[in-house]
Amino acid sequence: MIQELQFSYRSDQKPVFCPGCGDFGVTAAVIKALTDLKIPRHNVVVVTGIGCSSSIAHQFATYGIHSLHGRLLPVAMGVKLANPKLTVIGAGGDGDGYGIGLNHLIHTARRNFDLTYIVMNNEIYGLTVGQYSPTSLKGMKTKSSPYGAVDNPVNPIALAITAGATYVARGFSGDIPHLAELIKNGILHKGFALIDVFSPCVTFNNYNTYDWFRERIYKLDSSNHNPKDISKALEKALEFPNNGIDRIPIGLFYEADRPTYEEEDITVSKMSVSEADKPSRELIEEILSRYR
Amino acid sequence: MKELDDIAIRIAGANGDGIETSGEVLARVLKSAGYNIFAYRSYQSIIRGGHVWYQVRFGSRELHSFKDKADILIAINQDAIDNQIDHLSNDAVIIYDSKKMSIDKYKDRKIRFLDIPMLDISIENGGDPVLRNIVGIGAALRLCNVDISYLNDYITKRFSKKGETVVNNNISCAREGYSRATPLFNVKADPKVKDLYLINGNEALALGAFAANCRFYAAYPMTPASSILHWFAANADKGIVVKQTEDEIAAINAAIGAASAGARAMCGTSGGGFSLMVEALGLAGMIEVPLVVVESQRAGPSTGLPTKTEQGDLLFVAHASQGDFPRVVMSPRSVREGFYMGAQAFNLAEKYQCPVIILLDLYYSEHMRTISIDNLDIKIERGKLIKEKSYNGRFKRYSLEEDGISYRSIPGTPGLEFVAPSDEHDEYGNLISDYYAGIDQYVELRRKMHEKRMRKIDTMIKQENIFKPEIEKEGDIYLVTFGSTTESAREAIIEFEKQSSYKIGLISFPYLLPLDKDKTRDMLKDKNLIDVECNYSGQLAQLIAANTGVVIKDSIRKYDGEAMTEQYIIDRLNQIVKR
Repeated sequence: MIQELQFSYRSDQKPVFCPGCGDFGVTAAVIKALTDLKIPRHNVVVVTGIGCSSSIAHQFATYGIHSLHGRLLPVAMGVKLANPKLTVIGAGGDGDGYGIGLNHLIHTARRNFDLTYIVMNNEIYGLTVGQYSPTSLKGMKTKSSPYGAVDNPVNPIALAITAGATYVARGFSGDIPHLAELIKNGILHKGFALIDVFSPCVTFNNYNTYDWFRERIYKLDSSNHNPKDISKALEKALEFPNNGIDRIPIGLFYEADRPTYEEEDITVSKMSVSEADKPSRELIEEILSRYR
Repeated sequence: MKELDDIAIRIAGANGDGIETSGEVLARVLKSAGYNIFAYRSYQSIIRGGHVWYQVRFGSRELHSFKDKADILIAINQDAIDNQIDHLSNDAVIIYDSKKMSIDKYKDRKIRFLDIPMLDISIENGGDPVLRNIVGIGAALRLCNVDISYLNDYITKRFSKKGETVVNNNISCAREGYSRATPLFNVKADPKVKDLYLINGNEALALGAFAANCRFYAAYPMTPASSILHWFAANADKGIVVKQTEDEIAAINAAIGAASAGARAMCGTSGGGFSLMVEALGLAGMIEVPLVVVESQRAGPSTGLPTKTEQGDLLFVAHASQGDFPRVVMSPRSVREGFYMGAQAFNLAEKYQCPVIILLDLYYSEHMRTISIDNLDIKIERGKLIKEKSYNGRFKRYSLEEDGISYRSIPGTPGLEFVAPSDEHDEYGNLISDYYAGIDQYVELRRKMHEKRMRKIDTMIKQENIFKPEIEKEGDIYLVTFGSTTESAREAIIEFEKQSSYKIGLISFPYLLPLDKDKTRDMLKDKNLIDVECNYSGQLAQLIAANTGVVIKDSIRKYDGEAMTEQYIIDRLNQIVKR
């Protein structure tokens, strides 16, 4: 019984997502990825922030921490450093990760922790009922930008590549099998994986709709893109939104093989401190003797 | 030769003159010579220039504070003389270098001057001007009738890695200084000192935490908490994860993540960094994670005086973050207590599944003194941490227990999976903030969940029996203190009672929150109390009044950035008793 339950990842909780929300697709894709990988659910920790999408933690029967707005990456980092044997998945929205928590994205990426970070990017603040977000396109009219947003949007893909992430991909919640594959490979990848997901908000964003994305996206996998080439990866990353909004690549932009933080840290490389017994009396005495 | 109980030697110069290193050398040498030590430094938020000093007070008995007035000054520049001349005892000696400094202005003072060409000697013996400090130290030791062999032994030990020439140059400079002075004072050595440790407040705290299995430390550098980060980083090879983060927000959230994963985790900062940590402190309260936060106060508000001390953050840490949740605030009164509190904080955090704040201040963090640490058998209490449950169905991480403490599991444990939410939740950890908020049954459940968390306060007060002040000494009048100010009060009482017929008592608060209101009130009521704190508004007095209704009318307060000293307390005590 317990044996079977170990690989049953869906919780009994009713989602808070609106009917048609892109985050249903992300939930399904994560469950598909975990099911394929057969990671026992007690070894999975889903760490989320705050926002509609962050409530996704409650959709899984794994361990979870539904933390603060923008702070899921430092929490995930703490979990991973204390016990590197756990599979740690971060999940949140664009406001959470590219707005209030952007600082942490850059620093987490450059440290290359073995984490998988899924950002449900709907180009809007949904839970606070419709303000422009860091990825809203210039000119987007929302409750807080009635004359059109003046800010240039963040390019999370280009940002993550230059910050040092070693797996950078973009999915679309309208294509669950493709997204599940990206997430699965992100989890398998040793190092920091960012998976930006177009996950439409059907209530507050009637501009970036499923159809809007379907008309524009194309898959890098079928376009001879070489994800090991950082210059090519950046070129692809800049296609949207910097160089236009008519063609949007999805799939794996960039992948690199670099040692993880955990492999290089003097302590984490050797042990899970969460399982360590207290230091011996002899060790404490030895340290103390230096002060004698 | 004058026989004294204790002597304070001050070495003063500019930033970059090696004052701090020299002060430490002096402290370690005097410790090896068998003296109790209390060492403290004054420095500034610049890297070169300015005015800094380091004082080593040494004595035949345990010393609780630094001394306002030094007995010997080693002046490294003219500023040192000009700035320190009014901070010296009546028969003090100034060691100076007439080739670099002038004492003409001070000819009519009672103070004695000892002219030694410190710079010339350093140039003749290797040429490094920092060696003039060693010349001064050699002379000061001779004035105090301390054998030079202690200095030579220490130099040999400390500098041997740098080669024979460095060792020999240092020893020559020490000898030159030593030979130019004659013994004026003598302090009896204390045979007990050889078993003591010479350690500063932050080091003692960090070591105590590690002894209690603290295996995770995250911080962003900030004075005066940085040396905790340095200590952990230097000892990371012993099995500690140490992470310098991008900011204090990341530091505390990382510590929460590590604690959630089952490690004993701590983060540390000063008031400014703690301001950034405030939101996450509430997260730890809400998801009931055992988290230890160190806050070493410096003089505020805002950036304030980064290198100066204060106790101005007590009410801030007591109330920080929105909403009500249980927390422990504790503040070591001495370096020795800092070691044990560093350990105890983790047991309290795990037993009561709440944040524990260890409140320090710059004076505590940075002063170094000789202490005993006799009990190294640190007990580890993990509270209601479980590996399996006794019932079928989903794990109730936040079950409504009578004592308020639910059973806790950590990731990796099969069958005990749960989600820890910052939103209000039910016993399983399911949200009650969305579909259910405002619906009758969930209004009731919210009340119960909130009461469950808050009940932990009563439980810990009852179970621990520590959340009350300590009457350290009975008297006609009582000084009331917390934190490092307590040590200055202890020292002041010893000196005051030598001169006065009044008996001065001492009531100190090692734990500030929660407080056992009845016991605290009973201990304070009907006594003549004087509130002694390093802040403007009397934050301890306010905390006492709010919790017990006891209003303390008299106060001795200090908020100039310098530590509370025995003489400051004595002077104001005299004014109060004269009324």
